[in-house]
Amino acid sequence: MERDDRAVFRRPVMAWALLLPTLVILSLFLYYPTIQTFLLSFYQVNFALIFADKIFVGLENYKTVFTDPVYRRVLLNTLLFSGSVVALSLVTGLALAVLANQKVRGARVYRLLLIWPYALSPAVAGVIFLFLFNPQAGVVNYVLGEVFGVRPDWLTDPRLAFLVVVLTAVWKNVGYNVVFYLAALQNLPGEVLEAALVDGATPWQRFFRITLPLLSPMTFFLLVMNSIYAFFDTFAIIDLITRGGPNGATNTLIYSIYRDGFEFFNTGMAAAQSVVLFVGVVLLTMVQFRFGERRVHYGG
Amino acid sequence: MQKGRLWFRSALAVLGLLVAGSGLAQKVKLTFWHAFGGGRLAFIQRMVEDFNYMHPNIEVKAEYKGSYRDTLNAAILAARQGKPPHIVQIFEVGTQLALDSGIFVPVEDYVPASLKFQLDDYIKPVANYYRVGGKFNSIPWNSSNPILYYNKTLFKKAGLDPEKPPQTFGEVLKACEKILAAKAAPKCITWPLHSWFVEQWVAEQGALLANNENGRAARATDVYINSQAVRRVATWWKELYDKGYYAYSGKLEDWDGANQIFVSQQAAMLITSTSDVTFHQTAAFENKYELGTGFLPIPDGVERNGTVVGGASLWLTKGHSRREMEAALTFLLWFTNTENMVRWHKGTGYFPVLETSVKVLEWQRWFQRNPAYRAAFDQLFQTKVNRATQGALIGPFPEVRTIIEEAIQSILQGTPVDQALQRADQRADQVLANYNRSVRR
Repeated sequence: MERDDRAVFRRPVMAWALLLPTLVILSLFLYYPTIQTFLLSFYQVNFALIFADKIFVGLENYKTVFTDPVYRRVLLNTLLFSGSVVALSLVTGLALAVLANQKVRGARVYRLLLIWPYALSPAVAGVIFLFLFNPQAGVVNYVLGEVFGVRPDWLTDPRLAFLVVVLTAVWKNVGYNVVFYLAALQNLPGEVLEAALVDGATPWQRFFRITLPLLSPMTFFLLVMNSIYAFFDTFAIIDLITRGGPNGATNTLIYSIYRDGFEFFNTGMAAAQSVVLFVGVVLLTMVQFRFGERRVHYGG
Repeated sequence: MQKGRLWFRSALAVLGLLVAGSGLAQKVKLTFWHAFGGGRLAFIQRMVEDFNYMHPNIEVKAEYKGSYRDTLNAAILAARQGKPPHIVQIFEVGTQLALDSGIFVPVEDYVPASLKFQLDDYIKPVANYYRVGGKFNSIPWNSSNPILYYNKTLFKKAGLDPEKPPQTFGEVLKACEKILAAKAAPKCITWPLHSWFVEQWVAEQGALLANNENGRAARATDVYINSQAVRRVATWWKELYDKGYYAYSGKLEDWDGANQIFVSQQAAMLITSTSDVTFHQTAAFENKYELGTGFLPIPDGVERNGTVVGGASLWLTKGHSRREMEAALTFLLWFTNTENMVRWHKGTGYFPVLETSVKVLEWQRWFQRNPAYRAAFDQLFQTKVNRATQGALIGPFPEVRTIIEEAIQSILQGTPVDQALQRADQRADQVLANYNRSVRR
């Protein structure tokens, strides 16, 4: 007789009863607010005015998000920002993990130091970079000024400010990737790499043909996690370093939602943008699972 | 059964009496939210402690809630959740929003007749700003306007007369040329990229920022950003920036950033609020340079109208017991009384907003002995009273501020002045239209 690994509840009542606490919490804190957000996005409402009228505006808020130059800039910024943060964090994370995986003296210390930034809160990361890149009194400009005689206005130039925010977000996140890549590297099947070595593969070939494909499940996981990080967890960094400026250059969706929702109280607009972000993340995750899954090599 | 119920009821009654009795003996607890960190936080804390000491039946707890914007937003969210603080400090441009929000009570209605005299004691420019519809809706507290701070030591180094700060936009440009040519400082002038300065320069030119007499005669429906007055300011600002005279931190509304540039002597001039006089006097002493203050420079060939009273006032929220309301009012009127206004002025540089507090300071010859505090004061008293200097009331003013700031920033980045201001004007009008649509009439 074949053994069935899956335990099955004979009576669904028991299953539902066990699920109930989770469902209650999810409905209260996830489903209900999500539905409310969807509904709110069709209204124009000012949250600051207690007696304000809620005006039904249909798709007007969405139209604004996709046609107004200010919001289009926000959408574009979000794509550029998330794309650069994810790509840079993955590449540097992997590179550092490979280096930290070498058997050298003090490897444990290096590893600890690499992971350190991840333990800081985004706010602290923001403040550190704010001081580093302060055009007048920052260390970066002091060094650049002494060595090269240039002192760029890091935070007043839109492109440079964007770069600083991306760098901060990457610096903060790279430790996370290092941890996971290190774990994955240490669990790689030694035989395969040895076989390659015996067959005379160069280090580069070994890395790109064997290590990288074997790491793909981890890369795939990190891709999803980093995207979510770039979309949602970078608010404090942006708020502290640039406040979305200069001239809207670092205003991403999450920051724009905060501003519209809690600073200007255009609750309807904030809701519409949340929905856009929500749909974006759902689509991205679907695409990643559909196309990512096929290319991922799970070994075994 | 019957008996049990009776027992239960009498127990409840006793318990109720106990609660009521202990309530009477208990202190009234008040929360007060404000937007002052750093040195001012400690200052406020000390004043609140004094109050609590002198009023044993009241206990005020002051809490720092971040920037002006943060404080207003926190208060609105708290009121939404049914737990508003009793007293909230709200910045001047939040006045219309606070009025419309439905969270606050008009404070003048609650001031007992015996204490009304204190409301009549407010100096004209302050009363002018905060009396809306003939009534004080909030208690004016910290009031300021922008002045020019300059580094006399660097002025001397550049061959400029350290007793003659520039008065006009043109004079600032000339002074900057000299300062940079003499390599007295890497940059010439700094101020926070903040809409407040634009608002002040518009008022100085006697121009309005919104229709319906700056929103004072009736609710504003049109914001004037693309005006001659704003264009003058933006054009000059851009020239300063392009010539490398103007420096700022890159962040919007970054007061500390501008202060830091000036204190570290990266720039020879600073335009900022008079509320920083005390801070800058200390900083000048510590960093060994001589500090001067002067009037806010204005566009050339324009008659000086004066400045708008900036700062904030204290609002009383709805939904508290009578005892709490009375206690809150006691605190408000104590906190802003003559002695405390004198103390507040000396500790910060904010105006003494009561006529009597001005008299005390004059009697003490304070302004003769401390000339740095004088410029702001003279500037305030030379201000002409008209709709321009009364300041605009615009519901979504906080958002309009951001729009103005982003327009200026885009101009500094190279967008033509007309184009940027026109776009900002349209955006502001749209925001205002949406806001007015939401307000229940």
